[in-house]
Amino acid sequence: MKIVVCIKQVPETNDVTIDPVTHNLDRRGLAGVMNPFDKNAIELALHLKDTASEDVQVALLTMGPDDYAESLREGMAMGADEGYLLSDRAFAGADTLATGYVIAQALKKIDDADLILFGRQAVDADTGQVGPIVAEFLHQPQITYAASLRLSGKHEVTAERLLEDTKQTLVAQLPAVVSVRSELNTPRYPTPRNIQLSFNKPLTVWHHDDLDLDDSRLGQAGSPTIVTKVYAPKPVKRELTSLTGTPSEAASQLIKALKGRQLI
Amino acid sequence: MSKPELWVIAERRLDHIEPTTQQLITKAKHLAGDQFHTVAILFEATNDHLEDELKAYGPDEIRVVRDDRFPTATDAEHADALEQLIKKYQPNSILFGATITGRSIAPRLQAKLQTGLTADCLDLRFDDETLVATKPSYGDNIMCEIICPDHRPQMATVRPNTFVAEAADGAATVTTDTITFHPVERLQVKAATPVVNTATTVGDASRVVALGRGAASAATIDTATKLAEKLGGRIGVSRPLTDQERFTHDDQIGQSGNTIHPELILNFGISGAVQYLVGMQDSQTIVAVNADKNAPIFDVADYGYVGDASAFMTALLAQFV
Repeated sequence: MKIVVCIKQVPETNDVTIDPVTHNLDRRGLAGVMNPFDKNAIELALHLKDTASEDVQVALLTMGPDDYAESLREGMAMGADEGYLLSDRAFAGADTLATGYVIAQALKKIDDADLILFGRQAVDADTGQVGPIVAEFLHQPQITYAASLRLSGKHEVTAERLLEDTKQTLVAQLPAVVSVRSELNTPRYPTPRNIQLSFNKPLTVWHHDDLDLDDSRLGQAGSPTIVTKVYAPKPVKRELTSLTGTPSEAASQLIKALKGRQLI
Repeated sequence: MSKPELWVIAERRLDHIEPTTQQLITKAKHLAGDQFHTVAILFEATNDHLEDELKAYGPDEIRVVRDDRFPTATDAEHADALEQLIKKYQPNSILFGATITGRSIAPRLQAKLQTGLTADCLDLRFDDETLVATKPSYGDNIMCEIICPDHRPQMATVRPNTFVAEAADGAATVTTDTITFHPVERLQVKAATPVVNTATTVGDASRVVALGRGAASAATIDTATKLAEKLGGRIGVSRPLTDQERFTHDDQIGQSGNTIHPELILNFGISGAVQYLVGMQDSQTIVAVNADKNAPIFDVADYGYVGDASAFMTALLAQFV
């Protein structure tokens, strides 16, 4: 059985600022790390590898610049068997649709993935869209926001999914695409031995010409959406009434004020 | 020529309409003016009448498709049914709630239609017939305006509780339509049970006692719980406190969590990261207690006290009769 976990590299912190002159995002000095939610997907894959009666191969897949290989190495240090990096200038500037297209084409080339896993969403753009897009392009069933997942038969998984007020139990015939909730598990840390092993694990880089691609669906040109403005939200200021004195005095001022506003 | 259509995809929560649907109908009506025909799209079982929960919000039309398989339909089956309606009516724009359901169906549909979808939006407007969607990124620290100039329909998922649902005059026309239901055999919903603990989110409360890093001790949380009970409200937390076992994502204010606008919010020990302030600044009355007089939270507060959050909270609780 083969599991492919799709991961993304994101800035180390979300505390990004806007350059006041260029109005562009200032990401200088921000190191890249693996999207934390993706580690839950890797952990699920490794758990299945550890517990399944059959042999399970876990591959990682990401699209981005060459330094995204760091996140692949990190995932391999957790225990994944191999990594695929989709890297080409032609892929740059892709929105979720164009990203999903390239990932789906790479998965078609890998060909034998039984289970394709995603984290719930990336912490930088927060869309969670690429998983369902890939599922549609591959004509596979999808289970999003899975709260649990187990192999329940030959080529079959059973998953629980928590909607806002309902727990669903779903059974999917593989191949299928699943995105997982972060509450699903606690990702393992790389062990020194696995870190050492990871440097000898295969990391395959695929460029534009390695995949069967329609150029009109790539990068910026293949992205229906355009970002027209980026800004830091400015909270709306209010006129502050200060409460003063001891906590007790201040609390009584507040109670009076809230009564005046008919809130208590 | 008939007006372009602006759709809201109605979502069900067990036997009711998910409140975000009603919020989106109100927003759609404001956006539409005389320019668009607003349509709520509702999939339901043969004997359901969930359209009754939509009429009061006054969309121009409620388009109902009935099939007994809809209540347990999977994402791909919903997306397929929507695609059939979209091909028939060619709507200009489609709005979904950014609920788990909406965020699962919408991108699947996006891939079918090869169009743009903007996620988890906090604001919407039209420039002529172009939908401008405001989307937070980097944990709500950055806002992006996103358009989809050359593809139709334009689609967005919108964060729950971003807009307020308002009853509206005018009789909505209820029409029925049909699609061909294409079952996906490889994925079956075997069971769907109501979650026993129907935990409300902080977004549902009209009074919120909000706790941050400066009000995180067990004793302070206990005091806050009592205070929330007295107020008939509930506790909410800023991001640092979600690391504690007793709080979950449902309790979190701001940060791709819950955008809230209660009647009253009391902020204890919260300094006020931008994403937090933006996530609660539409509250009617804002109170802040923080030891740091320069904390940004005081900029957006109506009432402020510089001092120990726990001591103030204890004093406030003692004075409630």
